[in-house]
Amino acid sequence: MQLAANIAVLAAIYALIACGYVLIYRVSRVLSLAHGELMMLGAYGLAVTASLFGGHPLVAIAASAALALAVGFLVYGLLMWRMTGESVLAAVLATIALGILLRGAMILAFGTQTQYPLQGLGWTNASIAIGSARISAAGLTLVLGTAAVYGALFVFLHASRWGIRMRAAGQNPLLAAQRGVRLHGIYALAWGLATFTGGMAGMLIACDAGIESTLVTIGLKAFPAALVGGLDSLLGALAGAWIVAAAEVLLIHYVDPLLSDVVPFFVLLAMLVVRPWGLFGTREELDRV
Amino acid sequence: MSSSGYFRTSYARDAALVDTRTQKAWLSVFCVALAAFPFLAGPFALDLANQVLLTSIGAVALMLLTGYAGQISLGHAGLLAAGAFTAGILFKEIGASIWITLPASAAVGALIGFVFGLPSLRLRGLYLAVSTLALHFLVIHAGQEYETRRGFSTGVVLDSPLADARAWFFVLLFASAATILFSLNLLRGRTGRAWRAIHGREAVAAALGINVKAAKLSAFVVSCTLTSIAGCLFAYYRGFVSAEAFSLFVTIQYVAAVIVGGIGSILGALLGTVFVVLFPYGIEALMAVLGFADRLSSVIFAVNYAAFGLAMILFLVFEPQGLVGIWRRVQAWFLLWPFKQKPVGK
Amino acid sequence: MKKTLAAFLISAAWPALAQEAYVVGVSAAMTGPGAATYAPVVEAMKAYLEHVNAKGGVNGKPIRLLVQDDGAEPSRAAANAKKLLAQDNVVMLINTSLSSTYAPMVSEAKRANVPLYFGGSVCPKETYPPADPLQFCSSAFGANLDSQGSLNFIKAQSKEPVRIGFAAMAIPIARAEIDYAEGLSKTLGMTPVEKQISPPPAPDYTPFATKLKDANPNWVFSWSPWVSQVRTFEAMRRLGWNGRYLTWAHLNAEDELARIKDGEFYVIGTNALFQDNLPIHAEIRAVTHRANLTYPVTYLTEGFIAGMVIESTLKATPWPPTPAKVLAAMNNLKVDMKGLRGGPLEWTKENHFRTRQYYRVWRWDPSKNAVVRVQDWQAIDVKR
Repeated sequence: MQLAANIAVLAAIYALIACGYVLIYRVSRVLSLAHGELMMLGAYGLAVTASLFGGHPLVAIAASAALALAVGFLVYGLLMWRMTGESVLAAVLATIALGILLRGAMILAFGTQTQYPLQGLGWTNASIAIGSARISAAGLTLVLGTAAVYGALFVFLHASRWGIRMRAAGQNPLLAAQRGVRLHGIYALAWGLATFTGGMAGMLIACDAGIESTLVTIGLKAFPAALVGGLDSLLGALAGAWIVAAAEVLLIHYVDPLLSDVVPFFVLLAMLVVRPWGLFGTREELDRV
Repeated sequence: MSSSGYFRTSYARDAALVDTRTQKAWLSVFCVALAAFPFLAGPFALDLANQVLLTSIGAVALMLLTGYAGQISLGHAGLLAAGAFTAGILFKEIGASIWITLPASAAVGALIGFVFGLPSLRLRGLYLAVSTLALHFLVIHAGQEYETRRGFSTGVVLDSPLADARAWFFVLLFASAATILFSLNLLRGRTGRAWRAIHGREAVAAALGINVKAAKLSAFVVSCTLTSIAGCLFAYYRGFVSAEAFSLFVTIQYVAAVIVGGIGSILGALLGTVFVVLFPYGIEALMAVLGFADRLSSVIFAVNYAAFGLAMILFLVFEPQGLVGIWRRVQAWFLLWPFKQKPVGK
Repeated sequence: MKKTLAAFLISAAWPALAQEAYVVGVSAAMTGPGAATYAPVVEAMKAYLEHVNAKGGVNGKPIRLLVQDDGAEPSRAAANAKKLLAQDNVVMLINTSLSSTYAPMVSEAKRANVPLYFGGSVCPKETYPPADPLQFCSSAFGANLDSQGSLNFIKAQSKEPVRIGFAAMAIPIARAEIDYAEGLSKTLGMTPVEKQISPPPAPDYTPFATKLKDANPNWVFSWSPWVSQVRTFEAMRRLGWNGRYLTWAHLNAEDELARIKDGEFYVIGTNALFQDNLPIHAEIRAVTHRANLTYPVTYLTEGFIAGMVIESTLKATPWPPTPAKVLAAMNNLKVDMKGLRGGPLEWTKENHFRTRQYYRVWRWDPSKNAVVRVQDWQAIDVKR
């Protein structure tokens, strides 16, 4: 039972981060390797708003969420729109460079000490009992939050105008543009949503454990989850997150805790050998002359 | 491009690396300058030059793989680690000398290159990059496990056969020159042409009769062997090996060298290497000149980091052809003067 | 290039200003991984030495501390060492960085025959007797000694048989220490029940804590960077474990005890806490306030100690300084810690760590709402 709770929390973390990767890839076919740094930026945003709006934690949270959304738009507007149409390597490298720039800037702005936004908000991370298992308040929020986010995204992508436009732009950009869909707006929206969910993940992890430089590496560890499920499928991201989280937790418990670092990448390699486009992804097109 | 009035009248002349008298003259001046450098430069500059030469081997190897054959690889640091750890492990376990560890590193590199290259037969672009990334983490993990199990918690110390920086300069110069010549020869032969073909359009290359699988694997094997040798030299130059020295950032630096230098050009790899190695020192000098040095001395690393990211972004956005593109523009300006454009039809 | 040109011009124009000082250089992890542990040490060291200079310096001359950031990268550390030794002609090289930077700096120091002082970074075994001629260390952590001190404390505190669990981060130095502690616990009659090694970027420590809790230890000992120590503890508590946790007191221990507020969370360390309010603590506050440091003052003890060691060494080095004279001074050093440690720091030709290591243990007392000392200075002699 406790194992199940552990898997659920870890899967929620990976799923929330993975949906950022999937959103951007699905819509613009760009792999954003700056996601880890954007997560950390979201966490720092919470620390800043928590100290600004001292006595009003809900206002602080809303402000930091809005901030994350805005940062996503900015990233697209200032950098990524110039990379549309360039080669895959150039676009990926641009995101890597952005990540490096953000990391350096965050150290300069916030220093290297660990910060605890939860303290700034004035809440404590209590332990909650569910059956015979125990889970932290932040962990529970992560699980519920991830479910809510996925539900909302599903409704958005299938029922709302902008969501359908996003799916169209992802499937066939040329056709969508010719039908009047503003591609730049769609891409900006995708980046905004991805940064919002990534920032949310960063904030919740920071509430559990404090903001540290390892937050960025966690972003990278969630990437196999996105790939295993299929880089352009949200359902796949959810499935991939569960698989990777389960593999990690079970291996820690029954085999060797040290393997938990490399397990995501083993799973990734296995998937790439067997089915490169993931469980639920669309097959990449064949090379035609 | 070359000055007017020069025609190549045979295949041999066409494939030659240095053909005009001007080029030969400049090359000999350059060689003399390189030979004299260690005797004129201070120890700090000498160390920088050694670092540039060492990095250039890995950069040229990556350029062969990514720039010419078009196979994206994000596992470069893993290859360097493999070469370095081979040297370290052989030294510690059986006391091997460099004459054994160097070929051993090359063999290990070839083997790992083969393994790294296997996914490339099924995957392309992004997925290939990701598979190389995963393999990188596995190699690093193996290195860390070795360090811990054998008790070398602060790293594996090697006895370097050379201690003098000047001697190292000539050794590294020889290694770098050998790598460049080897690469240039490879590129102007069948293998190079095959690589360029699969980089262009794989289906067309296959239709033309090129064995795509063999070409891809050979690209990986050659590149990884060279990188592994570079890793082995790195281990001896520094005198120690530790897994932390081969982080993802090292890979990014090599990829940046290749991209900033200019894809598809060996000269680009060299220019990119010089840029990446000297960049942090340039930033520090800039800070000192601007007067921020004291205030920021404690966070100079973060400033370097941020500046590096910014420089990469600027290059990607404004100079997609990289330093080689700038070099060619400057060259064209001089060669065409007083004209501005190349004549139509040339 | 421009820097050296400017320096050359300045030194040519004002010879008196440039030459007359004791020059020492430090390569530190000011940014990058581990910066949180090492940057405060260097800042406090700098502030203390500036304070010494303001009082007139040592032997009438100022001390110049050159700080180079290596970001915990071994290549950068090597380049920094080369620059400090060849260009700046430092008489003492200092390392305040991660253990991966040790080997390159050691080889550079050996080549130049300049003493290498580990001020604030984990002491390598080469500083224990019989010591390497050029390596010295004043840092609080001591491999193997920390485990001895900790397990002795646990044994003294327990009336019932001890079932001990171990937790460490997956870095070689912490794993080696925990393996040693596990072996030692058996010789002391304790039962080691579980050992969990967690990789550094773990998003959630609960799986490791689950495994530890299931083994039902009554004590857990952890020796690692603070983040892994405290998060393993917090995860275990959330799972409902009620045992006692002993861990190493890093720079932020005093503040963290007040944040965590758990009565069974013990920290063991060698540096006195600020709550003792000794005169030296007031001095630290004053000096660092004047230097406008942004770190909480409780983080700065280790750096201050390093500064005191440097000052004592250079005071015993007659002018003009050479690395050989500094080495002679270090081989025969006794520094009065003024209460910051359990006793004076003594170095001999054989022992470059210290002749005696003193440990105190603290915990948070919920009834008094304050940090209380559970064990006063316990000495361990450092022998071969």
